[in-house]
Amino acid sequence: MQALLSFENAPPFAAPLRFFLTAPAFGVLGGVLLAWFGADIMASRWMPATLALTHLITVGFMLQIMLGALIQILPVVAGANLPRPLLLARVVNVGLSLGTLLLAGGFLHSHPSLLAAGAGVLGLTACIFLGSAALALRGVPTTSPTIRGLKLAMLGLGGVVGLGLILALALVFGWNIPLLQLVDLHAAWGFAGWGGVLLAAVAFVVVPMFQLTPGYPARPSWWFPRVILGVLMLWTLAVLARWPAVIALCQAAAALVGTAFALLTMRLQSLRRRARPDVTYRYWQLGLVAAIFALIMLFTAAVSPAIVDNPRWTIAFGVILMAGAFIPFIIGMIYKIVPFLAWLHLQNCGQAKVPAPAMNKLLPDSEMQAQWRSYLVAFVLLALACLFPEWFARVSGVAFAVANAWLMLTLLRAIRRYRQHTVLILEKLAAR
Amino acid sequence: MNHPKTPHVVDARYMEPPEPFVQTMEMLDRLQPGERMLLLLFREPHPLYKILRQNGHDYETELTADGTFEILISR
Repeated sequence: MQALLSFENAPPFAAPLRFFLTAPAFGVLGGVLLAWFGADIMASRWMPATLALTHLITVGFMLQIMLGALIQILPVVAGANLPRPLLLARVVNVGLSLGTLLLAGGFLHSHPSLLAAGAGVLGLTACIFLGSAALALRGVPTTSPTIRGLKLAMLGLGGVVGLGLILALALVFGWNIPLLQLVDLHAAWGFAGWGGVLLAAVAFVVVPMFQLTPGYPARPSWWFPRVILGVLMLWTLAVLARWPAVIALCQAAAALVGTAFALLTMRLQSLRRRARPDVTYRYWQLGLVAAIFALIMLFTAAVSPAIVDNPRWTIAFGVILMAGAFIPFIIGMIYKIVPFLAWLHLQNCGQAKVPAPAMNKLLPDSEMQAQWRSYLVAFVLLALACLFPEWFARVSGVAFAVANAWLMLTLLRAIRRYRQHTVLILEKLAAR
Repeated sequence: MNHPKTPHVVDARYMEPPEPFVQTMEMLDRLQPGERMLLLLFREPHPLYKILRQNGHDYETELTADGTFEILISR
């Protein structure tokens, strides 16, 4: 019976781990950049350092963990087996890391060839991942909202990467394109079409599973990914046809649909059967509150566009959406995925003869709580920096770097314990 | 717990992994030939599906309005 727990579909632990450990390094780098440039970085979204920082976080941190986690969970949540997952993990991890550094360097130094190289490497890496995912998902019937969401999120990734490539080439070759509208569209495909749809698809599974909440009702779950992708396609058409009113309408619709999802998740969390709020719950609570706040800002900007003339508005929106919502969702999930995988691999290592240690022995709650507090401090300082950049920008950068370094340290400790237990289990097996 | 589809039910909707898997396999061991069991979950258990197929069990899944996946498994 226990032998059946061995799950041969799961890729080796090293496959997702390399992403989980690389991502905080980009978080540290982002924090250092903010600490270095201080208030200048918060003056406008168009500053070279701001563009560099945005991509260090969105690609270096967020996309890194999202793709790493997908390599791990596609077989589990969709029954889709990626071909050669360890090789894919290596290629994608290196491609994302190199591409992000080149792209950020290109932005920072306004260096066209670095920018083009970064965009090219990231484009190629995304194509490799999307090709593998398409192979894995081909023939997988859409039997759940999660599978539909995963499939449509891949379109979202294609959209954000494609638009990113067009924008990079336009900057390098000086093409005459509606830059502002295309950058907004690039961000919309990234945050809503890729990040939002992927988050929802995964949340449909992990929120009830890890937080012991009721399930997401079926009908809105089926519709959410479709509505978001539909809105983005209309938004794209409106940019091409230069219909500003339709663009604003799409922006408002995306904000409302996203808010509905966040409120539904909050409602489910309020009905959870786990009495004690754990770290994942706290991270998700912050993420949901911040997401709703950011989406209200997005809605406000859609109905009164003059508000975004104030550069602080856009910066605050970005900070709340990324540092307040997406990163907390991601860290919250990492703190469930890593101990569970460590436990699963130890369980398999023990061959049903030597039991694996409990998950909280591998990654104790106290260590995660300490890191969570450091992240909360960083986020509060970042939010204050949006209001008073001269006072808080540098210190918030330092705090953000510390919280990310702490995350890496916490994960490294868990991996060290995992390795120690692997040796112990192998010794016990040998002694039998 | 009784269910219109079968009296043999594992309601795993508020259980943490790997408990749903363990309880399902234990109930399958207890079933008589020809009997069927129902697993209730808020997700589709793809790893379990694979093991069921390997062990020659038939199963059919229905997603209900409240987000419950009802997985009816034959012995």
